[in-house]
Amino acid sequence: MARAFRKTRRGIAGEFEQGELRLLRRLFADVVQLLEPEKRENEDPLAALVGLDQEATRPEDSAVIRLLPDAVRNDDDGALEFRRLTERSLREEKVSALRAAALLLEHPQVLLNPDQAQVLARALNDVRLVLADRLEIKTDEDAARLHGISDLEDAEDLESYLALVYNFVTWVQEGLMQALLASVEVQE
Amino acid sequence: MTDVPWVVIVWNDPVNLMSYVTYVFQTYFGYSEAKARTLMLEVHEQGRSVVSTGSREQAEKDTMAMHSYGLWATFQTADA
Repeated sequence: MARAFRKTRRGIAGEFEQGELRLLRRLFADVVQLLEPEKRENEDPLAALVGLDQEATRPEDSAVIRLLPDAVRNDDDGALEFRRLTERSLREEKVSALRAAALLLEHPQVLLNPDQAQVLARALNDVRLVLADRLEIKTDEDAARLHGISDLEDAEDLESYLALVYNFVTWVQEGLMQALLASVEVQE
Repeated sequence: MTDVPWVVIVWNDPVNLMSYVTYVFQTYFGYSEAKARTLMLEVHEQGRSVVSTGSREQAEKDTMAMHSYGLWATFQTADA
């Protein structure tokens, strides 16, 4: 079983089993797949380079919408305009954080500086947003309902297995955040 | 041109950890731990909080940054 992240004199340290590392890297890869921008024919390479995407539309997958939400409320045109200016950059930023996070979790002993810890925290958060969408966690009560599922023996079907994974990723992120917040305080 | 400032609003969701939201407010905006915690609790308890105020350009930049951290944020004029 993994050991939660904690602040040490050498950095933010955590310990995982190989299976846990494989699971986390797999989750990062799954989210990368959801986010990777599609390559279009006749694309203006200069526009792509600066992150513009004049043909972007609102994603249909609710998990992708949660990762790339509308930036303007009650104004579909305004939200779409902003999406066309920014969504591609946002996708690329998230994909590169997810890939970098996977590289941080290759060995059972994990030691991170604060910048690396932030990259991992972002990636874990995006994974949790996607899992929460699949689990239909929409309220604090929904989240509380799944808290009890912490043992593989509790996982009887796909939903409870996903809940188990969600709770594990949450536990990893919470430990990481406590260690990271403690490191931020030291810097100040 | 208008003098009405633009604001960035962060909305509550049941997924983002309180510790993570506090960390983002501290790190990205450079807010003190106390201010970051106050804003985080406002999001959690009141469903939303204005986390920054300024030009439209700044509001757009901050909104995009919040999205890159996975927080649910929107921008609008302060009087909207």
